[in-house]
Amino acid sequence: MRIGFIGLGIMGRPMALNLVKAGHAVTVWARRPESRQPLLAAGAAEAGSPAEVARDSEVLISMVADAPDVAEVMLGEAGVAQGAGAGLVAVDMSTIAPAAARDIGQQLAAAGVDFLDAPVSGGEVGAIAGTLSIMVGGSAQGFATAQPAFAALGKNIVHVGASGAGQVAKAANQIVTGMGVLAVAEALAFATKNGVDGARVREALLGGFAYSKILENHGQRMLDRNFKPGFKSWMHEKDLNIVMQTAHQLGLCLPGAAATAQMFNAMVGSGLGEEDSIAVLKLLERLSGQEA
Amino acid sequence: MKVGFIGLGVMGAPMAGHLLRAGHDLALWARRPESAADLVAAGASLCATPAELGRRSEVVFTMVTAGPDVEGLVLGPQGLEAGLAPGAVLVDCSTIAPDTARRLAERLAGRGVAFLDAPVSGGVQGAIDASLAIMAGGEAEALERVRPLLACLGRRIVHVGPSGAGQVAKVCNQIIMVAAIEAAAEALHLAAAAGTDPARVRQALAGGSAGSRVLDVMGERMVRRDFAAGIEARLHHKDFGIALEAARRAGVPMPLAAAVGQQLNALMAQGWGRDDTASLLRVLECGRA
Repeated sequence: MRIGFIGLGIMGRPMALNLVKAGHAVTVWARRPESRQPLLAAGAAEAGSPAEVARDSEVLISMVADAPDVAEVMLGEAGVAQGAGAGLVAVDMSTIAPAAARDIGQQLAAAGVDFLDAPVSGGEVGAIAGTLSIMVGGSAQGFATAQPAFAALGKNIVHVGASGAGQVAKAANQIVTGMGVLAVAEALAFATKNGVDGARVREALLGGFAYSKILENHGQRMLDRNFKPGFKSWMHEKDLNIVMQTAHQLGLCLPGAAATAQMFNAMVGSGLGEEDSIAVLKLLERLSGQEA
Repeated sequence: MKVGFIGLGVMGAPMAGHLLRAGHDLALWARRPESAADLVAAGASLCATPAELGRRSEVVFTMVTAGPDVEGLVLGPQGLEAGLAPGAVLVDCSTIAPDTARRLAERLAGRGVAFLDAPVSGGVQGAIDASLAIMAGGEAEALERVRPLLACLGRRIVHVGPSGAGQVAKVCNQIIMVAAIEAAAEALHLAAAAGTDPARVRQALAGGSAGSRVLDVMGERMVRRDFAAGIEARLHHKDFGIALEAARRAGVPMPLAAAVGQQLNALMAQGWGRDDTASLLRVLECGRA
């Protein structure tokens, strides 16, 4: 299949490489030309603009930072809408607000482009391994068309519902992971303050109802004090802001997510934004005078 | 002085009335002209567009709901920007995001028009009594020019700092006030649930360290179960969106404000947005059903 790929950052680069490895004809574009090199070396073609990528593609994927970037790539000057042929399926795999995804989808529909919102979970590790969870919103037909691309990128691929539904699922995912990381950090800080070995506590909890992937993976990294990203805390803050703004607009009471969002807000404000979101442990330690 | 006023809601109408009674030549524009009828009967003139109002005014006041409303009035078709002459002053008394205020000030400065953000506190009663607290941001010189007008509206006029500073102060005001309303609601809810008379509890507290204007005014409403607005709760909900966004931009945690914001979300979900913020008591009660 002819697949276009726009946005070759920490997530986008390994994803595009997996598409090449799966035998697809991949055309790439990225704002910084140097980030295209690994893809060109692997056999991908290069285009001069998002519009040119669209001209060469049956399915086009974007993986960028935030809603304004998606809008620029899809609808801007020399954007995807300018070059799209009949039947193009444009898939945005960035994490943006559900309302923004619906809006971009509507504008692309007017240009004859079928738009899917398909954010992912699984981080850089999942992107490299091709084991991402992919949550998709949009038409069933577009979902079917993009299926071969999704198959090369992830394992758990779910068509959640209509346009925006993928982003709703992703926001829900960020509520669970944000509060989960904070819960594990609080549990380990609690153990330490009580003079109990956090590693033993983690081990004891892994067998019971408190088991989670976050306790297992993030908990271990907290114990190792390995705060390298992974998933940067400023990005988790951005995603929780999407959650809280959507809750504000809908009139939805989310006390836990609100408290968690403030912790991530404090992390960004106190210089922990570039560290992994598990650095919320450091913030807890500062607040309780537990600093190592 | 030739004064223009836009936004004749529960706050704006009495404010405009004070300016007219103080002898100023008052021009109005209203989306619904009928909302201006009383003031026109009292001697104010009605303009067809914000631009026309701008052309005939030395100072223009706006008192509307949200940032996009102010931007629409200033920058929209037939907007104030098209009418205001160099040297004019635009005083926005609405509560909007500090960033929006700064953006408008910069834009108008390019045309020689001074913009002051001058949000108020004191509610409808403060507007009627001309006893509002006014927190101003912008150039000191422009503030001095309009100070005699502001003195018709409020008793305490503080120049907080440059453009946007008035809105920052208003954000701080709303955080303290609405958190205090939530605290009063929780205390009176506990009082009732623990089998005491909330009215007596409120009375007992009024003289002590927990005494406050919020406990006096909003606590009284809660005790009487009078939830008619006052200031509509949806406006505090809007203001908390501004406050939490400002906190986010500054990288400053506001755990209490965030929690109160969620109670306001629940209030909106219950359909009480046009009632008084004393309805935060009812939010606590619906958790007990």
